[in-house]
Amino acid sequence: MGDAQMEEGDNTREIEVAPALIAVDPAQRSVAVAVGSDLRVYDLIGDCPVSLVDDSAKPFHSDSIRAIRYDASGKLFVSAGDDKLVKIWSTDSWFCISSVCCEKRVSAVAVSNDGLFVCFADKFGVVWVVSLKGDAENQALADKKAAPMLAHYCSIITSLEFSPDGRFIVSADRDYKIRVTVVPKNPLDGAHEIQTFCLGHSEYVSCLDFIHSPDYPHGLLISGSGDSTVRLWDVTLGSLLDTCEIGSKFDRRFTFFLKAELSATDGIEEDPCHAVTDLCTCPNGTSVALAVQSLKGIMLLNCNLSAKTLSMAKVSISLVLSLFCKDFRFSFLNSRQIHAMHGSIVLRHIYALRYRYAWLGKEES
Amino acid sequence: MIEKETTSTFNKSTGLPRKRFYRARAHSNPLSDSHFPVPLSPSQFDYSLHYPQLVPAASDDDNPKRIQFADIGCGFGGLLVALSTLFPDKLMIGMEIRDKVSEYVKERISALRTTNPGQYQNISVVRTNSMKYIPNYFEKGQLTKMFFLFPDPHFKEKNHRRRVISPHLLDEYAYTLAVGGIIYTITDVEELGEWMKGCLENHPMFEALMEEELENDLVVKLLTSATEEGQKVARNGGQTFQAVYRRIAPPL
Repeated sequence: MGDAQMEEGDNTREIEVAPALIAVDPAQRSVAVAVGSDLRVYDLIGDCPVSLVDDSAKPFHSDSIRAIRYDASGKLFVSAGDDKLVKIWSTDSWFCISSVCCEKRVSAVAVSNDGLFVCFADKFGVVWVVSLKGDAENQALADKKAAPMLAHYCSIITSLEFSPDGRFIVSADRDYKIRVTVVPKNPLDGAHEIQTFCLGHSEYVSCLDFIHSPDYPHGLLISGSGDSTVRLWDVTLGSLLDTCEIGSKFDRRFTFFLKAELSATDGIEEDPCHAVTDLCTCPNGTSVALAVQSLKGIMLLNCNLSAKTLSMAKVSISLVLSLFCKDFRFSFLNSRQIHAMHGSIVLRHIYALRYRYAWLGKEES
Repeated sequence: MIEKETTSTFNKSTGLPRKRFYRARAHSNPLSDSHFPVPLSPSQFDYSLHYPQLVPAASDDDNPKRIQFADIGCGFGGLLVALSTLFPDKLMIGMEIRDKVSEYVKERISALRTTNPGQYQNISVVRTNSMKYIPNYFEKGQLTKMFFLFPDPHFKEKNHRRRVISPHLLDEYAYTLAVGGIIYTITDVEELGEWMKGCLENHPMFEALMEEELENDLVVKLLTSATEEGQKVARNGGQTFQAVYRRIAPPL
């Protein structure tokens, strides 16, 4: 996830820009966007930008933000990145309630389902955990100390996810591995019991998400990788249930919309890269949206939880669009604008090309 | 060892490879991404390539033979060779990151198989970085013995995280070992011995073997006598520090 894509024709090709990130409050009260070191939150109820308040010793972020997310209840928000800080915010007051220091730059964050623990991964592959227990939400806390919980030896962790039933924490790395670890009663003592590994990807694993529904509360794990596949896994056994080859889904119709990579050495167009860079699952457990490198749009896959299969649904090509799909609509980020669920809120100029899709799961009124 | 003038890499009388043609530095950086093939998952590991006599390619076994002993950092293969005849029905593998040294072990096993028909078919070696890729080779709870003999001490404090026995890596070894499986560690560096013992003692999924169990275990004696490193330490009258622990079920 360290390689940033530059927009074509952008004359700042030499400077590496961290991909812009987007996260949506599960309670649908706000949308957060991180652009470089800048964190911007938009209040969807009040229809206005939010002013963040940070009284800590090192306020806000001083370097690229690499991971942002809300917790399952929407009460907490976490941001972390290259400034080696993990900031935990209350979403009621947008006050920074805790700022945790890390020795290394942070590459991924996750919050336990009960909102009591925040986990973050550093660039050496160590996953740290910090406890939020026993603290009132809006109180400023003494800066907390994190404990090491588990590690992928010398590998950059690209994604961290708790399973929907809270039993496992899943971590994916650049060395093609996905590790499923049992969440212990006290994570601060370390998560030593590995449940399984999900092995099969032949390139770096870039993204993880669980897909679940009320009928299937344990859910299944979906992973996207640089090997141009999306895979469906059972995390209790580590078994591979289905694989979707993204590369083979593109035919002549779509090649017009694919940006072919210009080879650095001789300027000859190379075949477009179909690496999966990000994915997001729909809350009702039926669809998965993918961001594919070199595709100017998004790809939708159908997931059948009972048959445990993945299949192609459609490829949507667009630069600026709000898409409707059954009961939900989703917002996404492109090179210039973001369209959030209430229609045409345009946030200011954002200059990166990596997409992140968030499912809002709300019925359109 | 006084070598003859011949330039053959193999000793003509014993048929075994000569160490001097496989000289390598004692050190190899485990953090560098060397390019050797790694199986995508344990089911992709080619057993018939390593154990051609015992696991034929076409076998359609419901209960196929699986590796049970692993020597992590097997060096020149001394332990594997000693274990092979002690446990002829168990498959064993040595993992070694240094290219020349793993080549040597391969040649050594090949030569032993030729000069002792029917024997040494149960041992093999693979060149890999065991600190990163153990889950690629072994299923959960597959191994019953794991060996860490005279590992690199990494004296400097900032390099302690490169040690092959560490709190985080023990999670992976616990995953790979079956409940009841045993991990054997030995070193001649006292500080490292303390470190390894401390890591194992503090890990919730390992418990120390009792004195009587250690005495009754045939393998424990091999820790000092079977490897080239162990023999060198004995020759120099050095002390060794061992820590032998059993994998237990995690506490509830």
